[in-house]
Amino acid sequence: MTIPVFELLRPKTLAEASELLLKHGDDARLIAGGTTLVILMKQRTVYYPYLIDLQGISGLDHITADGEGLRIGAMATQRAVETSLLVRRSFPALADAFGKIGNVRVRTTATVGGNLAHADYRLDPPPVLLILGADLVLSSPKQTRTVPIKDFYRGLYETALEPGEILAEVRVPPAPEGSRTLYLKYSSLSANDWPCLGVAALLKGNAKRCDELRLGVGGLAEKPLLIEGLELARNETITDSLLDEIARLVDEQISPISDLRGSEWYKREMARVFVKRAICALAEEDPHL
Amino acid sequence: MKRELALTVNGRLAKLQVEDADTLLEVLRDQLNLWSVREGCGVGACGTCTVLMDGKPVSSCLVLARRAEGREIVTVEGLAASGKLDVIQETFIEERALQCGYCTPGFILSVKALLDENSTPTDDEVREYLSGNLCRCAGYGDIVRAVRVAQEKRRAGAT
Ligand SMILES: Cc1cc2nc3c(=O)[nH]c(=O)nc-3n(C[C@H](O)[C@H](O)[C@H](O)COP(=O)(O)OP(=O)(O)OC[C@H]3O[C@@H](n4cnc5c(N)ncnc54)[C@H](O)[C@@H]3O)c2cc1C
Repeated sequence: MTIPVFELLRPKTLAEASELLLKHGDDARLIAGGTTLVILMKQRTVYYPYLIDLQGISGLDHITADGEGLRIGAMATQRAVETSLLVRRSFPALADAFGKIGNVRVRTTATVGGNLAHADYRLDPPPVLLILGADLVLSSPKQTRTVPIKDFYRGLYETALEPGEILAEVRVPPAPEGSRTLYLKYSSLSANDWPCLGVAALLKGNAKRCDELRLGVGGLAEKPLLIEGLELARNETITDSLLDEIARLVDEQISPISDLRGSEWYKREMARVFVKRAICALAEEDPHL
Repeated sequence: MKRELALTVNGRLAKLQVEDADTLLEVLRDQLNLWSVREGCGVGACGTCTVLMDGKPVSSCLVLARRAEGREIVTVEGLAASGKLDVIQETFIEERALQCGYCTPGFILSVKALLDENSTPTDDEVREYLSGNLCRCAGYGDIVRAVRVAQEKRRAGAT
């Protein structure tokens, strides 16, 4: 498979990259790891006469932590996040979600920013970033603004990025004291395939008393979703009837797209199974029980 | 429009003329005649076009050749450049970890990257790391066994 002829532009700064984006408008697209873009260009699904390369811009691939949490540069590779001790120690579910993407070659090449900005409905990392309340830093020559990830996704392949804007960094605030997180990926075709669905859960408390519960899901609507209304679980014991109630709440908010990884009906059934499984796993894991 | 590109492949610097749209796979096969690098799926899923870039495995079908400038590219030809097979290649032969051989260069490079990263992987870690290399003759059992044997030989000092 060949790629139709295009021109690769190689800016040295973010500002220069933004200006090129503005100058070429719909004729240009950013290229980060290139894994998705190269495939879509080969398949003639999209065509851009200009690709703007982010690889030559320095200072975009950091992974650092301080009192305010974790900062991941948009050009950090998925493999770097997966294998970062800093990430694994403070946000194990995030390292897991990045580590479950496709195969090791994809993760070595593809980036954090390319993943989030692609805005596919099945991506693995967004559900975890949703329950952690991550913020995305969007940069343009005009301004740098911070958007909560739940407001970043607008619809199928649609994001809050304005013309000329570039996703520069992901910021993850510290998780609530004493909380635990988990990401469950369910692939219905093969082990390293895209997910049929993904469920991320954060639980503070234990099976006897839930102090706080958060759920994020991927593959179950046209964009990743943060489940609302989970206050109903606060201060409750985690019983079968509470789990049923939570599963009902999830079912009301999702609108799965039937695809080759499962019909809408099947994804709804599996959402119920995996939501309960994630909550139970976290409730039972409590070291103080 | 073709532009000049200096690419380091198997320890040698090659001066080439490439289009921006040329993939690393196309350049390695069509200009450098490195036919161990094969196009299978063309979408990063099968592993037959695996090469090492600075020691890490990538799908050369998804890498634009120009973006590989300045990196060390290794194909399976580079493992035996001195004429002596790498211990991983030798072990694949001894353990009969191949049938038709189409996927073998990709597997061998992935195994090399894995063992360079982690000299004592468990069988589960081996399976996970190699899960993106497909063998349609389904020789997976033999391949995992060959990795275990190669790992022991490397620990005993073989290269
Ligand atoms: C075989 C295979 C299997 C995969 N399996 C999974 C999986 O299981 N789970 C999963 O989550 N993903 C999966 N992916 C998707 C993989 O994570 C994507 O290829 C990746 O997310 C795209 O990253 P990239 O850096 O290569 O982006 P690119 O291909 O370079 O870009 C993707 C898009 O994002 C835009 N973009 C890139 N960077 C920025 C930025 N900083 N600011 C604004 N826009 C930007 C580009 O313009 C483009 O539209 C798979 C991919 C492959 C090839």
